Amino acid sequence: MPLNVRIGFFLAVRALRRASLWTTGLIIGVMVLTFLNLVVVSGILVGLLEGAVVAVRTQYTSDVIVSSLNDKKYIENSPNLISLINTLPEVSAYTARYREGGTVEANYKTRKETDKPNTANAVLVGINPAKEKAVTGIDSSIVEGSFLSPDDYDKVVIGGYLLKQYFPVETPGFTTLENVGVGTKIRMSVGGVVREVTVKGILKSKVDEVSMRVYMVDSQFRSLIGRSDGNVAELALKLKPGADPVAVRDELLSRGAGINAKVQTYDDAQPKFLKDIIATFNMLGTAFSSIGLVVASITIFIVVFINAITRRKFIGILKGIGIHGRAIEISYVFQSVFYALVGSGLGLVLVYAFLVPFFDAHPIDFPFSDGILVAPLGSTFFRVGLLVVTTVIAGFIPARMIIRKNTLDSILGRN
Amino acid sequence: MIETKKLERSFKNGDVETLVLKGIDFKADSGEFVAIMGRSGAGKSTFLYQISLLDEPTGGAITIDGHDTHRMSEDERMKFRLNKFGYVFQDYALLPELTALENVALPLLMQNKSRKQAYAEAQEALDRVALGHRLHNLPSQLSGGEQQRVSISRAIAHKPAVLFADEPTANLDNESSKTIMDIFVELHQEGQTIIMVTHEEEYAKLAGRLIRLDDGRIISETSHRG
Repeated sequence: MPLNVRIGFFLAVRALRRASLWTTGLIIGVMVLTFLNLVVVSGILVGLLEGAVVAVRTQYTSDVIVSSLNDKKYIENSPNLISLINTLPEVSAYTARYREGGTVEANYKTRKETDKPNTANAVLVGINPAKEKAVTGIDSSIVEGSFLSPDDYDKVVIGGYLLKQYFPVETPGFTTLENVGVGTKIRMSVGGVVREVTVKGILKSKVDEVSMRVYMVDSQFRSLIGRSDGNVAELALKLKPGADPVAVRDELLSRGAGINAKVQTYDDAQPKFLKDIIATFNMLGTAFSSIGLVVASITIFIVVFINAITRRKFIGILKGIGIHGRAIEISYVFQSVFYALVGSGLGLVLVYAFLVPFFDAHPIDFPFSDGILVAPLGSTFFRVGLLVVTTVIAGFIPARMIIRKNTLDSILGRN
Repeated sequence: MIETKKLERSFKNGDVETLVLKGIDFKADSGEFVAIMGRSGAGKSTFLYQISLLDEPTGGAITIDGHDTHRMSEDERMKFRLNKFGYVFQDYALLPELTALENVALPLLMQNKSRKQAYAEAQEALDRVALGHRLHNLPSQLSGGEQQRVSISRAIAHKPAVLFADEPTANLDNESSKTIMDIFVELHQEGQTIIMVTHEEEYAKLAGRLIRLDDGRIISETSHRG
């Protein structure tokens, strides 16, 4: 070990060991807060959207989603595609959905001729309840009534965004059904066919695609829309843990699935606005973090500057008895590194042992998502590195300013 | 060993320049014990700082063991101070966060000695001033006299060519002062070169040679012993 480093370490260890506990605690406290500012602020900002991404993935697209081409209502040759999916070892479960645009009407029994029909545009979906449960588990989002069973006849589960009591939004052109609850009969119109159905359950999710839909058992839905060829509109594929959605997507595409369908990973299927907001929030998080970093570096600068100024006489004595100025500078660098590492270490414990599990268990309830704390290890350790480097510079500069002063002036306290 | 010729040191304060040392010719041989006296402001401490390489003169020359100090870089001066000189200051100048043993060992560690060797030599130096039982005490846990003895240990642990002392007894009571001076006399008897600034006639007389400064000049020189 170079001599100056050895001496610097010797001095730093003793300075830290015998420093005032209050001062050390205060500096480390500042470092912990800075670390939290660096990691948690941007982590929550990104987490708000990550919550939305996770929700879309778990409740709608699953890991890979295969859907009809833009100019088609369904995926042609769906049975062949399903056979192909069945051969993929990475797929643990899949759910096939029939889908048609239609309307639902609530007040058709009570309204007078002159009254305006209470209708809402909806996406009508036919599902296999057992398979849907296995892939998306949307049955757990039922807030009233119960989920579909395979033998349900003329029963539907309706998304909360189609009901006024769950989505009291008055937007021109967007209507919701009023006075509809479990057991209420509503009228479903799709492709000129009208069917009266009973609401069996109400489903509430923060994923638009889930909450704007009306779900029916697939066998009945097929007869409603007159589909007998087994061609579905969507296939959501849940993969085994550790399987790569990109690899599965590419495998499907390489085997011709792209001819009749859009094959996307959950990430591909994210709306562009969501990706843009994530990028913007990331930028905002970085901006807030940068301010935090500047504040921390100024704090360390001031702390070390005051420390070095009050110890100027001792710095002079050290130089006077032949201790190299570089060794003294290094001792301040070591002290700064110590503060940054201990502060970051405590911050890491706080983030990964308390905050991340806490937000996972108690997500922040935002209208569009359940916000979690996103703190990927790689970027967190990058921020630790950034904090250490900034602190080292902030500690080194004031120490050097004082150490460079004339030795005798320092010993005698002359300016 | 140490020789100065026409040594000058002036200080500038704005446009005003004050000449504190006005051409001092001085010589100290190896093994000498020289006391420097003078009233306040006479320039005795300033003179000590010049010859101990803590400050740089504005005129004249200093030669130490044949080396012209004017030609030395700051790094060389630092190494000279570390290896050849020892310092005892009026206010002890110990580092408050280091124990007595660590304070004494620090310059030895800076000389690239192993920790074991540095601590052994530091302990030896502390034993020598009868502080072997206070090795792990911080300066704040020692009396003024004990702190000054630690300071002397630090100054002599690496067996310097010259020991510089700037009013080493000024802050001490009579008993502690006497202990310190006894140590100086003993060191001198063992061949240590000592140059000491003092106010106290009684202690100055213990030196082999007494130099009196006034107004930046040597006004008298007295030898007490051979």
